Amino acid sequence: MNVMLFGPELYYLGAALVFFLLSLKRKPEPKADYQIALALGVGGLVVTALCLCQQGELFFKAYRVDLFSQIFKFALALAFFFVLTISHNLAHIEERYHAEFYLFLTTTTIGMMMLVSSVELLTIYVSLELSSYSLYILVPLRRGDGIDVEAGIKYLLIGAVSSGVMLFGLSYLFGATGSTYLTEILPKMPQLVSSPIGVLGLLLALAGFFFKLSVFPFHFWAPDVYQGAANQVTTFIATASKAAAVALMLRLVALGAGYGYSFTKALVILSIVSMTLGNLVAIIQKDFKRLLAYSSIAHAGYFLMGIITMKEAGYIAAVYYALAYLVMNFTVFMVISEVAKDGRDLKIQELAGLWRRSPLLSLSLIVGLFALAGVPPSIGFTGKLLLFTSAMNQGYFWLVLIGAVNGTISLYYYLRVIYASYFTDDPSLGPVAISTPMRILNYALIAIVLGFGVFPDRIVELAKAAVHTVL
Amino acid sequence: MGPCDPNFLSCFLIVALPLLSFAVIMIFTWRRHRLSLAISLTCSTIPLILAWSLFFRLKDTVTLAKPIVTQVNWLVSDAVIVPFGFLLDPVSLLMLGIVATISWLIQIYSIGYMEGDPGFARFYADLSLFGMSMLSLVSASGMLQLFISWELVGLASYLLIGFWYEKFSASEAGKKAFVVTRFGDIGFFMGLVFLTFFMKDINIFGLGIFDINNAALTKKLTEAQFTLCALLIFCGVAGKSAQFPIHVWLPDAMEGPTPVSALLHSATMVAAGVYLITRLFPFFAASATAMTVVLVISTITLLLSSTIGMVAKDIKQVWAYSTVSQLGFMAMGLSAAALGGSTLFAGYYHLTTHAAFKALLFLCAGVFIHHFGTNDFFVMSKDGGRKLAIPMVTVTIGALALAGIFPFAGFFSKEAILAQLWHLPNKLWVGLGLFGAFLTAYYTFRVIFVMLFPRKDDDPVWQEYYVREEGGHGHGAHDDDHGHGGHHGVPWVMSFPLIVLAAFTLVLGFLQTPLEKFLLGESHPHEMNYVLLFSAVGCALGGIGVAWLDWGSANARWQGFIRKVPALENFFIQKWYMDHFWRWFLNTFIYGTFSRIFTYNDRRVVDGGVDAVAFSTIGSGRLLSFIQTAFVQLNLLFMVLVLAGVGLYLLMGR
Repeated sequence: MNVMLFGPELYYLGAALVFFLLSLKRKPEPKADYQIALALGVGGLVVTALCLCQQGELFFKAYRVDLFSQIFKFALALAFFFVLTISHNLAHIEERYHAEFYLFLTTTTIGMMMLVSSVELLTIYVSLELSSYSLYILVPLRRGDGIDVEAGIKYLLIGAVSSGVMLFGLSYLFGATGSTYLTEILPKMPQLVSSPIGVLGLLLALAGFFFKLSVFPFHFWAPDVYQGAANQVTTFIATASKAAAVALMLRLVALGAGYGYSFTKALVILSIVSMTLGNLVAIIQKDFKRLLAYSSIAHAGYFLMGIITMKEAGYIAAVYYALAYLVMNFTVFMVISEVAKDGRDLKIQELAGLWRRSPLLSLSLIVGLFALAGVPPSIGFTGKLLLFTSAMNQGYFWLVLIGAVNGTISLYYYLRVIYASYFTDDPSLGPVAISTPMRILNYALIAIVLGFGVFPDRIVELAKAAVHTVL
Repeated sequence: MGPCDPNFLSCFLIVALPLLSFAVIMIFTWRRHRLSLAISLTCSTIPLILAWSLFFRLKDTVTLAKPIVTQVNWLVSDAVIVPFGFLLDPVSLLMLGIVATISWLIQIYSIGYMEGDPGFARFYADLSLFGMSMLSLVSASGMLQLFISWELVGLASYLLIGFWYEKFSASEAGKKAFVVTRFGDIGFFMGLVFLTFFMKDINIFGLGIFDINNAALTKKLTEAQFTLCALLIFCGVAGKSAQFPIHVWLPDAMEGPTPVSALLHSATMVAAGVYLITRLFPFFAASATAMTVVLVISTITLLLSSTIGMVAKDIKQVWAYSTVSQLGFMAMGLSAAALGGSTLFAGYYHLTTHAAFKALLFLCAGVFIHHFGTNDFFVMSKDGGRKLAIPMVTVTIGALALAGIFPFAGFFSKEAILAQLWHLPNKLWVGLGLFGAFLTAYYTFRVIFVMLFPRKDDDPVWQEYYVREEGGHGHGAHDDDHGHGGHHGVPWVMSFPLIVLAAFTLVLGFLQTPLEKFLLGESHPHEMNYVLLFSAVGCALGGIGVAWLDWGSANARWQGFIRKVPALENFFIQKWYMDHFWRWFLNTFIYGTFSRIFTYNDRRVVDGGVDAVAFSTIGSGRLLSFIQTAFVQLNLLFMVLVLAGVGLYLLMGR
């Protein structure tokens, strides 16, 4: 076995071990822990980048390493690193739990990394649970007045039900085909999607990913968890978790490519309901993170749009949008955690006068929100454009129309946030100080969001190459 | 011919450098005046050199019929190709040189004039933009590129006229110039759209200047279509070149700093209109109806502005109206030439000579204004205007040229235009042209004589003038709001451009034959028309003579002959009531009718509709948020139910 094939996972396993040892210390040293975590995060980036071009199969072909998986592993490492950069003050997590926080963050990253490489049903299930369990612990880690516990329990319960449904679906698939390997299920797809058991199995099997992506009707956890978890944890859920879910969903749905019109029709309905519900309810939110939770429900609908096309172009668009979403969503969450230095939940009106309090952060906020809303020339615009054109080319006119209307509705609540930060002011709110590394991070994020929005070719090429290895 | 073509490169640099200077100054160096000045000067000197080197390199190879077209594809999208490039023919080559020269001289001059102004760097940035847009307009190969530059010229003039934007009248004047010329530009653009629509197999992006002038392409149009297009395009000309009845912005444009007025009135903004006629001369010449309309409008413009110039007291106003009248004169010359089957030479020649002497006149006025802190030339005269030797001499040279006195440039070019008018079967036009020349000489020398022969404070004439001014109809001298006092003498950066331009004014007249040869490829032998020659000179001298009697001689009463007809004088002072007319027109039709209807539609229908959509959207948001209850068991039940529903749907729908 080539170690490099399993390199990223091994590296993060080692990192988890380090954090475990740190958590054993009797006297917590958050400063030192943070330094180590940051160093390990940078190392992880390097390792995943080095392993980008690996190819091969592991563990009795249950585990496939290809460009597709490696790109997502790099994205996950990036998200991990991003979250660490904003973890310099974990104000809402008790000091003695800091090492645990890093530990579980690392294990959930490992889980997601395994998820994007799994090509066998049970491996998929195990990796999914590995990533979820760590998050179940991370969510209530917040020191709070009980809302964290409520959120944690809700997350756990809904997650457990989704897992149950998913297992149920997987068992149908296994029963119908006699195999748990995706490569062996693939040739049997034509008769599978024409039989009730196959269609139901596939639908139920997707439940776990619907849960991760917070697609309707598995979205109930999102608002409470986004609001209840510590800002850093929410950031990780909103970025890394989504990217991993999209990645595996693409692998799974690629199975059904070209078959089963009615199956995609069901997904179309879920997509439409998700984006409409998410966008409409987001309008009336007052808490910024809650608003972003509904925005993520709406975005799940957009992701589905790319998957529904069942064509290469749609998958490329979905991969591109997943990567873009990771960066732009992080940009917004970074602003939240910088403005809410004490770790509190940020009300939209607390952004008042941000242009005065921190011009750079307000710029990042406007760039990130415009990217989420899909305003050119941001990376979000290019992503939406790719998604919509691919759906349009497959004849989903109404889906695209509803998507466009939803884009307009979403602009309304994004603009409300921008309005609050630029056009209102509250003299009682003082300036927000940001350190030089954060400053650099801000500039880098703005450059990425705008730069790859104007010149998306490289990323699209990469996404294309990745999708080719899956199909 | 791609981007590596040396002609393309030179032209590209000529256009790109001033734009670069604008961008660099506006973004980076606007706080540092000296540095900005250096950038701007560098970026106007190199185009100057390039423009003239292009001129001398190509002057023997290009002709009107065989221009050099050098272009690259700027935008390519499916079948639509938008080219970007340059058309070099004698007309554009010479104009490039003139525009580059005058912009450069004015940049030099402004070093002195704008000294110490807080917006010094911004001023140079705007000047650069102005130069860039005009240079690009002059050399554009396609109509779309020309139109874009045309609009940029409008933008730059807006920025410069409203340069002292803290002053209400200045920002108002900037707005007026922008909106009024935009009014004409709509016509221009519609003309282009109609033209490409009628021509069918060419789109507006690819419409080159060469195509528009190509008779084979345009003959597909019916007579009526052709006239419509030509007249619509002329709307743009009328807007930019301040032709009746949308000339009203030009006198107000005097609110800008004087160097801007000089630039605006000589080689850029207003020249753009007449330049467009010369550029599209074969096109315009093909429609006799349109040309007759142009001839009528330009004649009205000539007379209107000359008569207003007779009563203005602000030196810049006088020069402004003289510009309007000379533009009318050029348009007359061009349309007469088109009707008479002649060439564009006369009008174009007057455009070049006018560029030189009008820039000169404005820059001289600028020196006086800078020195005395007033725009009223009566006050300047009293304060000792004639003691400033260099500007006084040069302003007289400019005035002689404007009046059309031998051997100054204006004499030759006016003569050429009058010859065109003479060839028209109806002699009324030449008569009106001569009358215009008479008036021009009169009001020009009114200024010169008043400046040259000041009256003492206790002189009854001055007293009378002063009293009248105080209690009069309020066209007072508005200050240029600019560093007056404390200046002694004229700084060399300001007098140097004056001398250069005065030299041009002297020399250009004698270049008529070589210029004609260069422009047309051949020089027509001039048959001397002595009747016309003598009547023209007679009119000019007559105008000067009357001016001498009214304003110059020792016992002149300082009252124009027009005072004899008070009603007419008041009519002129009120600028033919054109401003009143537009005010009334706007109030009655635009605000009273269209705006009201549109506002109503906007408030009730559009806003109301949007509000309704917004409220219902928010309402449905509230409604849907009820699904999000705190009871997790309900959530889970809902989840399973939906999943069951979808499953059933899948099973039933197969």
